[in-house]
Amino acid sequence: MPTADFQGSSAPFASTGRSFLSLRRDHAADPMDAHHRHHIDAGEQRELDAFQHQVADLFHDLAGGGDEILSISWVRRLLDTFLVCQEEFRVILFGHRRPPALMDRLVSDFFERAVKALDVCNAVRDGVDQLRQWRKHLEIVIVALGPHNRELGEGQLRRAKKALGDLVILMLDEKDSGSVLSQRNRSFGRHSGSSSSSSGGRRSHFRSLSWSVSRSWSASRQLQAIGNNIAAPRGHEVVETAGLAVPVFTMNLVLLFVMWALVAAIPCQDRGLQIHFSVPRSYLWAASITSLHERIVEESKKKDRKNSIGLLKEIHQIEKCVHHLIDLIDTVQVPMAEEKEVEVRQGVQELAQVCEAMKEGLDPLERLVREVFLRIVRSRTEGLDCLNGVE
Amino acid sequence: MEGNQPRFPHKSSSFTASRDEKHHEIDRNLSLGSLKLEQYGKRETHGVDTIEEEETEEKPIAGNAEETQASFFIISEDIDLFLTVLLSLEEDGRYENREPPDIPEPTVERFVTLLEKEIGRYESGEAKWCSDNDEFPLLDAIGRVSKLTAAVTRFSSDTKYNQAMNRAGGVLHHAMCFLEDEFHSLLQDPRAKQDAGNSSLKAKRQPSFSLNHEPDRRVRPSSESTSAESRPPYPPETVERLHGIADAMISAGYDIECCQLFAIARHNAFEAGLPSLGFDKVSIEDVLKMAWESLESEIATWIKAFRHTITASFAAERDLCEAVFAGRPNVSDRLFRRFASDATVQLITFAEAVAMTKRAAEKLFKVLDIYEALSDVMPAVDALLPEGAEQDESSIIADPKEEIASVRCRLGEAAVGIFCDLESSIKADSSKTPVPGGAVHPLTRYVTNYLKYACEYKNTLEQVFKEHKHSEKTSSNAEDGEAAGGGGNDRNGSNGEGHNPFAAQLMEAMNLLHSNLESKSRLYKDQALCNIFLMNNGRYIAKKVKGSPEIHQLLGQTWYRKQSSELRQYHKNYQRETWSRVLACLRDDGLQAKGSVAKPVLKERFKSFNAMIEETHKAQSSWVVSDEQLQSELRVSVSAVVVPAYRSFLGRFSQYLDPGRQTEKYIKFGPDDLENLIDELFDGNPSSTGSKRRP
Repeated sequence: MPTADFQGSSAPFASTGRSFLSLRRDHAADPMDAHHRHHIDAGEQRELDAFQHQVADLFHDLAGGGDEILSISWVRRLLDTFLVCQEEFRVILFGHRRPPALMDRLVSDFFERAVKALDVCNAVRDGVDQLRQWRKHLEIVIVALGPHNRELGEGQLRRAKKALGDLVILMLDEKDSGSVLSQRNRSFGRHSGSSSSSSGGRRSHFRSLSWSVSRSWSASRQLQAIGNNIAAPRGHEVVETAGLAVPVFTMNLVLLFVMWALVAAIPCQDRGLQIHFSVPRSYLWAASITSLHERIVEESKKKDRKNSIGLLKEIHQIEKCVHHLIDLIDTVQVPMAEEKEVEVRQGVQELAQVCEAMKEGLDPLERLVREVFLRIVRSRTEGLDCLNGVE
Repeated sequence: MEGNQPRFPHKSSSFTASRDEKHHEIDRNLSLGSLKLEQYGKRETHGVDTIEEEETEEKPIAGNAEETQASFFIISEDIDLFLTVLLSLEEDGRYENREPPDIPEPTVERFVTLLEKEIGRYESGEAKWCSDNDEFPLLDAIGRVSKLTAAVTRFSSDTKYNQAMNRAGGVLHHAMCFLEDEFHSLLQDPRAKQDAGNSSLKAKRQPSFSLNHEPDRRVRPSSESTSAESRPPYPPETVERLHGIADAMISAGYDIECCQLFAIARHNAFEAGLPSLGFDKVSIEDVLKMAWESLESEIATWIKAFRHTITASFAAERDLCEAVFAGRPNVSDRLFRRFASDATVQLITFAEAVAMTKRAAEKLFKVLDIYEALSDVMPAVDALLPEGAEQDESSIIADPKEEIASVRCRLGEAAVGIFCDLESSIKADSSKTPVPGGAVHPLTRYVTNYLKYACEYKNTLEQVFKEHKHSEKTSSNAEDGEAAGGGGNDRNGSNGEGHNPFAAQLMEAMNLLHSNLESKSRLYKDQALCNIFLMNNGRYIAKKVKGSPEIHQLLGQTWYRKQSSELRQYHKNYQRETWSRVLACLRDDGLQAKGSVAKPVLKERFKSFNAMIEETHKAQSSWVVSDEQLQSELRVSVSAVVVPAYRSFLGRFSQYLDPGRQTEKYIKFGPDDLENLIDELFDGNPSSTGSKRRP
């Protein structure tokens, strides 16, 4: 019956008779190939080594480079790093003579992890959009108290205060916003007098319900799924795969780390940073990537960051600026004393700087997240084509 | 509620009757915009005096609605006058070096207090700001306090002005918060929810393409009930109020708040409406894991939700944006684009995920359905989002057109991949068991039906292959396929488009099927049965092709003629294989020696004729020709050759057998019996031999 045959073409990688990369080998058509199956060609070995060096260099730069860790520009470099690694990995995968079937399992395993990363990309994209919404509230503050307003009046102060209060509520993680909200609302009640009754409903005004992923989706669980069963290849596996198990393992970890760091930095549905992350010291890039991991974990444990919606540097700056300004405005009486005004102006100036950084950085960041998404899709499709094209 | 509510007149003009002459005059002056300042200077003081008098004389109490109303309007007039003065100062550029006029503090204070009180009444629930009569003056007053605040801020270095700025600015902010709440709650209008609940578009599950039974007509969801007419999300009164509020907020400089509120409320409404369209958000991983049967129905639902969103919801949303932000095309355009972009991104992920699912033949049609849906909405999207609109800071927002095009491209590639996989599937079918009775092989059924259904998507597939086949390194047969496609291309000449990669691919599949069947036919040891098998399968294919104008057109007349002539050849081969031996028994030569009939030879002839007939009947009545026409053609052609020959043979030679026992022994069949036996061939019924024999 043809039924069986058709199903055959849609079977998972591992169960198909043909191995991944078979196409490539067919083209290479090396009659000696069978004899050299386990032999690692010197040129290929150089290529594999170069990949290890490259990954190590990239992460070394990330760990040491000029950008502050977890800043928008750092996250952008993180994504750039991923794109470079992914591209090199692709070249190795498709350019290498095919080792035995063990590779199929390893590679299909990688693509399964990569698919999970796609949902992380979408969730992060939402998160970036959320940051963009926050920026609108910062803009209100800047419009109200910015330098082009020569005189800071009562109305502008209240307007700014309300925008700041709205922002604080938005910046609370949705799941714990309920509890903190009642207290917050009291201090940000937009009007001391008549309208306190309606401020309870405030939080919904600017809260976007939009998430690309389903409601039950959890970034934390997704990360754990990506990290599941990543193990450094054993000696015989390296030999049996003509060394290719090493770049696959490398890419698994790069993928895991990059997705984890993204989720750490950017607001996401059900964030959580508990993953098992360990790299044998022998890998060239182990030190850099482990140190980055440790530094981010450390950051997440800091008292003032523990409950943050995202570890992005700019979020922290916003939090600091916003709370500082709120405290300032709370003590202000109109007409303002000159030194108070200077202080407020300065606070707004700081806020404007973060706002500018976000304005400059968020759009490219979102484009990069999208690029990572598309690149994963494309390389996965390439893999499937390889499998299905020849049967 | 109406009783204790101040009854502000509808329009200020309707109030003129109760005004005194003086204000009336100023009114006109104002509207003419040619105010003489010197003249005004006197009046101003006079006006303020009047009000101060009023205030001392009769303090407006909250209960005294008419009084409040009256004084509120007088105060408004005075504020307007004051504003005019300040404005003209500004226009003259004189305020730089000139002392501002005295500020009418009590007027300002009374004005803002009244406004504040009024808002307070709405906020506390004491009164409801909704009756049409009241609406205009409130927004009007808010507009006035906004102008007032801006105007006095210019002179804020003056202590009194500074105080006024703080006072008016505070009330303005209060008013803005009130409007924000109103705006928000109006946007949560119940009609939206109600609407969504009613128009549940949850699609019925569509029958899937199945291999087991032969769906003879596939019902294509072409005439989807895309109710392009979507009810506007809010009743006109609400839209009118939203417009009023938006106008007041934006005029007061609260545009960011207003736009954010609107954008988020509308986006949330869209999100909330998705389930009522039957669409639940799923992550990519979920889609990839989903069983095909479930995914298939999800796809059908998604297509409806998508079409509905783009054709109906988008249009309604654009109208809404234009109505609420009337007179501000930049704002409404930006908000609509943002909505369209967010909505598209939300929806398109699903299609993106489907394009990523593992390829399988049966998925082709759903993939093409989505592809068509994406193609179909493009004109609507183009019309709704014309190019060249100014892009502001939010230029990042994904362009729905690009998003759709990109996913469409991936679906196209997936469709090409799936269709090309058919080749490998045909090649891979190498089952070694012949189908009993030479009947139509399941592979033939499957491939032919599959191609026939695929050709119902002919136009789409042609487009898909033209646009997305670029990098296909599908197979070594690509060139052969193209060459073969040339045969079918004759009808393409009229279209003026030379190369048709889809037709070529189709031809390639047909050729592969043909050669596969030929090799399968060799599994039959009996050459006659081998030809019956080829005839059966060839006939099946030809009939399906003839029944489908699309596939017929794609394969072309040349292919069809070739197929027909092959069928005739199989028929001839069969006749020769089976019946030429039988007919040989009925030939004259060898029977007559020296002018007389050699009886033993004759007996032998009859014996072997009878044996062959019995043997053939026994074997071939179990063969299968399920196509009735073919079955009857075969029988008729056999009868036409065999029966007359037998009849004539009997006529010439039966006399040589002794009547009685001998005749009975050697002439087992009459011509009619023979015809009946032939009519029992190809029944696929092996047990018929004994039972139906001779009456």
